[in-house]
Amino acid sequence: MSDTPERITLEQWDLRYERLQRAGMSEPGYGGPLSRHVQDGDRRLLKLRFDNSAAALRLWNFLLTEEDRLHQARVAGKKIVGAMKDLGTMPVMAYSFDNVVAFYPDGAWWIPCVMERSAGLLEIADSLGIDESFCPVRAMLGAFVTGAHFPIPDMLVCSVGATCDDFSAIAQRLNGLGYPIFWWEIPHRRRPEQDEAAVTLPGGFSAPKSQVEFVKSELERVKVALEELVGAELDEEKLSAGIQEANRVRKYLDELRNLVFTAERCPIPALEMLVAEMLAIHFCSDRRETIDVLKDLLDEVKVRIQAGHGVLETDAARIFWVNPVADLQVMNLLEDCGGRICGTEYLFTHALDTIPQDVPPLEALARMALADPMAGSSIDRAERICADICRFGAEAVLISRIPGASHCALEGRVIGEIVREKLDIPVLEIEMPPVTDSMQPTVRTRLEALVETVKARPRSKQMKGSNG
Amino acid sequence: MKTIIYTCPYVPAEWIAAHGLRASRLLLDRVDCGFPLAGAEGVCPYVRSFIGEVTRNKEAGGVVVTTVCDQMRRAFDVINRGCDLPTFLMNVPSTWQTLAAQKLYIDELNRLSRFLIRLGGTPPSKDTLATIMLDYDDARRSVRALRPYLSARRYAEAVAVLGRDGPSETVSTIATQPRADGIPLAIIGGPLMRHDFEVLDIVEQVGGRIVLDATETGERGMCAPFDRRALRSEPLMELADAYFSGIQDASRRPNSELYKWLKRELAGRAVRGIIFRRYLWCDMWHAELGRLRDWIDLPVLDIDSAGDNETERHRTSNRIRAFLEMLQ
Repeated sequence: MSDTPERITLEQWDLRYERLQRAGMSEPGYGGPLSRHVQDGDRRLLKLRFDNSAAALRLWNFLLTEEDRLHQARVAGKKIVGAMKDLGTMPVMAYSFDNVVAFYPDGAWWIPCVMERSAGLLEIADSLGIDESFCPVRAMLGAFVTGAHFPIPDMLVCSVGATCDDFSAIAQRLNGLGYPIFWWEIPHRRRPEQDEAAVTLPGGFSAPKSQVEFVKSELERVKVALEELVGAELDEEKLSAGIQEANRVRKYLDELRNLVFTAERCPIPALEMLVAEMLAIHFCSDRRETIDVLKDLLDEVKVRIQAGHGVLETDAARIFWVNPVADLQVMNLLEDCGGRICGTEYLFTHALDTIPQDVPPLEALARMALADPMAGSSIDRAERICADICRFGAEAVLISRIPGASHCALEGRVIGEIVREKLDIPVLEIEMPPVTDSMQPTVRTRLEALVETVKARPRSKQMKGSNG
Repeated sequence: MKTIIYTCPYVPAEWIAAHGLRASRLLLDRVDCGFPLAGAEGVCPYVRSFIGEVTRNKEAGGVVVTTVCDQMRRAFDVINRGCDLPTFLMNVPSTWQTLAAQKLYIDELNRLSRFLIRLGGTPPSKDTLATIMLDYDDARRSVRALRPYLSARRYAEAVAVLGRDGPSETVSTIATQPRADGIPLAIIGGPLMRHDFEVLDIVEQVGGRIVLDATETGERGMCAPFDRRALRSEPLMELADAYFSGIQDASRRPNSELYKWLKRELAGRAVRGIIFRRYLWCDMWHAELGRLRDWIDLPVLDIDSAGDNETERHRTSNRIRAFLEMLQ
């Protein structure tokens, strides 16, 4: 097997792993062959294709050992905070404490895919009255009930207000089952009125100063609750240091996204990029290691771009992807169909944008929380998507509809219309269930149609990226 | 006089009326909105109907939407892009325990005031607001007092007329004795549409009687009675308190107050069974069904609705009939 960048199967990875080991590859403590995770029940891995770099191996092993890390943190006496829904804000605060680990139980939405529904989490959600008319995040309920996927957090902190109804309703159901939740509010982000003091948020949205002040006061409440849990004060200096570290993660991701999405040949597959972006949300329960994992990946990408290497053909259709997919295999499928990812909006752009460091830290976090694309209007979201499409030179948009999600029912059409009006590029919306196996022929056909449409259009302007 | 339309119970009609405008809470009806954006799979029938009503409405001078429901929040974008009616999106906090949440609600009322003034309304004096609040309070009191004498449909219609037209309309009855026939039931859920009132008729036809309309368009969506002394000194504060703290909803976080309210009302009216009425794709209420069943020692009948088609009507009727037979 060569060192040429390519997408390989799990079986091929085992052979490659042995070779890399013989060649003296060094690994962190959580390292090992990827196939061992299948024994833990992660059966979807058998159907995925992975990047063949050591950096990607480290990334996957880091992701797939998170549960172990959380259990180790508990044994080590650390407090475990379950952040819910805000996708990126709360962990920045939590990791600013010395003795706290934070993660998102929301991440359980990937378990039905990764374990190919063998864990029975969706069935447990069904039994609690949360059926398939809800977003797949309902798997979280099953994960709490079984206690088999993550340690039950010492404290749950959930953002509400301008969120999707699915999550809010599921969190309330969880609360009703006896899990105490600390609720905090993010109001719907609106545009400032005339003569109203305004603040520019990370990512470019604008909000009234009064809304920033409100969110700041909510974050102050959360901070006090965390201080009580931990038994230690979180002063401005510590929080600023936490923001600085979070920004290191964001800086690496920004560079990674920019290089990968604009390279003439795609240097890293969509699946690894999805995993890498996800690290920004809660650092996969280890902030320091996240930075090292991303740095490794970035180095690999730079080497590949320098050498003109990539994992896909240069004429791959450049697709901007909206919303995360619950089935990871779909990212492979897009590439199998001749597409590549050139820009993403996985509902957490606010976890990728740099947090301001020239304002008091709590205000900085409030600005970040309000920049959440879910907190504002679909029109705002569409405009951010348009700006990023231009930044990365995407040629089409794929809106991945989350089954049952309250926001997807209306916003996909709004986003699609605005993208078409402003940029005149093809837009396709496809609903993606947690496991797409039974729908794969349909999904494939639709993806192929999108790719063919892109390739049939004049491409000279868009297709050459800035690193090409 | 311009008419401001809305559906959410957290929009105080008194506040709109005090600006010299007509407040009209919509009682929705047609499910098919005829609006291409809203025909998508997953859109709650109530939201679909709301979009249709607003985009078709030629009489209204403005529309107020709230953030209480995510799909309504998204509907605001659809309406903004699809029609020329002046629109206002009011932030109603989900949390309620903090002073900051209560202040946010009051700030939003003040922002609504500026919107109403832009539409030609006049800033209300304290006295004007207090007087209008008293009128509404009296009207609500009258309607509430009639409940034991009216059929469930007539009661629901009386609440709807008050919402649509304000305190001008008077409701009366020739009945002199409270009704005592039928098995006492409660109906719980989000808002009803006009055609849903048929459910109330069906219940009575098969031997039941709705003694508690805990839907959003029923008693549960009515604000608390005003404290008349506080009303004179700080009417806006009293208004905000009666609405924001007085209306209990599934969307509140936590929504423990809803269950306290239900416990009190269900026991006070000797309810023997619950009809749980929800729309398909309404996550907020759907998620409460399991919890309600865990919480209460009463039979609960789940009636979901995707619209107003004939098949659904027959199914609903049969299910209610079976439910009542079981309770006989």
